[in-house]
Amino acid sequence: MLPNRSRLSVLVFLLPPLLLYGVAVLFPIMQSLFLSFFSWNGISDMEFVGLANYVRMLTGDDIFWRSFFNALGYLAICLVLQLGGALLVASLLTSMRRGRELIKTLYLLPAVISTVAIAFLFVRIYSIEPVGLLNQLLHWIGLGALERPWLSDIHTVLAAVSAPEGWRFTGLYMLIIYAALLSVPQELEEAARLDGASRWQLFTKIRFPHIMPVWITTTIMATTYGLRGFDIPYLMTNGGPGQSSELLTTYMYKTAFTSTDFGYASTIAVFIVVECLVAVGLILFMLKRKADA
Amino acid sequence: MTAPAAPVTRAITAPAPADSQPPLRRRRKPSLHGTLSKVIIALIVIVQVYPLAWLFITSLRTEHDFATGDPFALPTSLTWENYARAFETGNLGMNILNSFIVTMGANFLIVLLGMMAAYALQVLGFRFSKFVRGLFLIGIIVPVQIALVPLFIDYASINLLDTYPSMIIPLAGFALPMSIYLFCSFFEYIPRETYEAASLDGAGPYRIFGLITLPLSVNTVVTVVLVNSIFIWNDFIFANTFVLSEGLKTIPLGLQNYIGAMGKTDWTATFAAVCVTITPLLLVFLVLNKAMIQGLESGASKG
Repeated sequence: MLPNRSRLSVLVFLLPPLLLYGVAVLFPIMQSLFLSFFSWNGISDMEFVGLANYVRMLTGDDIFWRSFFNALGYLAICLVLQLGGALLVASLLTSMRRGRELIKTLYLLPAVISTVAIAFLFVRIYSIEPVGLLNQLLHWIGLGALERPWLSDIHTVLAAVSAPEGWRFTGLYMLIIYAALLSVPQELEEAARLDGASRWQLFTKIRFPHIMPVWITTTIMATTYGLRGFDIPYLMTNGGPGQSSELLTTYMYKTAFTSTDFGYASTIAVFIVVECLVAVGLILFMLKRKADA
Repeated sequence: MTAPAAPVTRAITAPAPADSQPPLRRRRKPSLHGTLSKVIIALIVIVQVYPLAWLFITSLRTEHDFATGDPFALPTSLTWENYARAFETGNLGMNILNSFIVTMGANFLIVLLGMMAAYALQVLGFRFSKFVRGLFLIGIIVPVQIALVPLFIDYASINLLDTYPSMIIPLAGFALPMSIYLFCSFFEYIPRETYEAASLDGAGPYRIFGLITLPLSVNTVVTVVLVNSIFIWNDFIFANTFVLSEGLKTIPLGLQNYIGAMGKTDWTATFAAVCVTITPLLLVFLVLNKAMIQGLESGASKG
C-alpha cells in the first residue's frame, strides 16, 4: 500500500472502471436474471411468470435440447482441433532448430481474420457447385464418394460449422502451450534421456506434467470460448438446415431478436452462463481429483 | 499419404552418403524424426495458410474463371476488376473508418480504465480489493451473449441504439478484466522502493500514477492494445445487434452486404472486399507480430 494514499484517491481510480464494468457486464447479468422470470415481447407490459420459462425450457422445448447437444458437439470438435492441434504443433516445434518464429506467425494468421470473412471462405470451401476446395481434394485422393454439399447435409453440417472455429484459434493456444513447453527445465529432459526414456515417455512423464497448470488454463479458455461460439454457425447456416446446426447461442439470439421473446431468451442466456460456470467447475474438479489420485 | 512415405525413402537412400561422410551418420537418427515432424508441421501450416492464399488468388480471378474452373488451379488471367466492383457495391472506406473509430474508442477505455483499476488494486490497495478482483473475474468467464438483450433494452430506452458508444461500451466492458489482470501482473514488478522514495519526496497517489506508473507501462499498453484490437476490429455480435444504419456499419457488417445483395452472390467481388478489409489488421500483425505473440503468450499463460 502506498503510504500517502487517501481513501478518496482509491475511489478516484477505482470508480470509473467499476462504472463501465457495471454498466456493460454486471448490471446486464442481473437484468437477464430478472427478465428470465418474465414474459415480455418488448412492447406490451411485462408479465411475471415465475419459473414458467425455466420449466418450458427444461421440459417442453425440443429445440432447446437439440441446441444443447449440438453445442456440446461443437465444443468437442473445437477442443480437439484447438487443443489437440496446438499440443501437436507446439511439441513438434520445440524440436525444430530454425523457422520457429515464421511458423508461429503463419499458424496464428487465421486469428486475425474476421468471422464474417471466415464464414464466406468456408462456404466456398465446402461448396459443391461450383466445386469447392474440400470436394475437389476428396475427388483427387480417390474419396469422390464422400463429396457432398457439406453445409446442407444434416449429417455433416454441425462438424462443418465447428471446424472453422477450431481452425481459427488453434494458433493462439499453440503459442501459449509452446511458451510453456519452452519453460520445461533442460536438465530434467536431459537426465530422463540418459536414463533411456523414449520420446513418448519424455512427453507423458516430464513435459506434460510440467505444463499442467498452463494446460488447465488453456482448456478452460477453449471451453468457455467454445460454449459461447456464435458468429460462424450463425453466419454460415443460421442454425439450419432445420435445427441441425443450431447452438444454444444462435437459438437464444433468434428467440430474442427474431421472435422478440425477451423473457425466454434471457432464460436461455442464464442457462448458457450456468453452463460455462459448471464447465469451468467440472474441469477444475476433474483435474484436482486426477492430481490427488 | 506423404507423411509416412518420407522417412521410408530417406532410410533407403541415407546409407550411401553416410559411408563417405561419417559425421552425418551420427545425426541420422534424430534427423529421421526431425523430417517427420517437419513434414507434419508443413502440412498443418499449409492447412492454416492455404485457404487465405486461395482467398487472395480468387479475388484476382475473372468471374468466368471462378465459376467454371478447378478451384485449386492458378487463375488463367489476373484482373483487378473485382476490386473495382467491391468498392462500387459497398461502402468499404466508411466501414473501415467505423471499425477504426470503434477500435480506437474501446482501446482508449480499456487501457485507461484498466490501468486505473490495476493501480487501485495493486499499488494503492484497500480492504475489499480481493472482493473487487473476484468481481472482475466474472467478466472473463461469462459469455458476452448474456448482455445482448439487457443492453438492447437499455439502449432503446435512452436512445443509445445505433451509435458508436453502443458498440464501444460492451466491447470495452468485457475486455476490461483481462486488461486489469495484465496491468496488475505488470505493476507487481515495479519495486516498492520506487514508490516509497517518491512518497518521501512528497508525491501523492496522482503524481505517482502520472510520473512513475504510467510511463513505465508503455510495453504493457502496447500488448493490451494489440491483443484487444484483433477482437474488437473483428467484432460481429455487438455490431450486428446494436447497429442498424448503413453509415455506422463496421467491417464485419459491411461485408455481409455483399451476400445475396442481388439474389446471386458476386463471390469474386466479395473476396476482393474481404482482402481489402483484412489488410489493415494484417499489416499491423505482420509488422508487430513479435509484440503481439508475446502479448498473447503472457496474457493467457498467467491467467
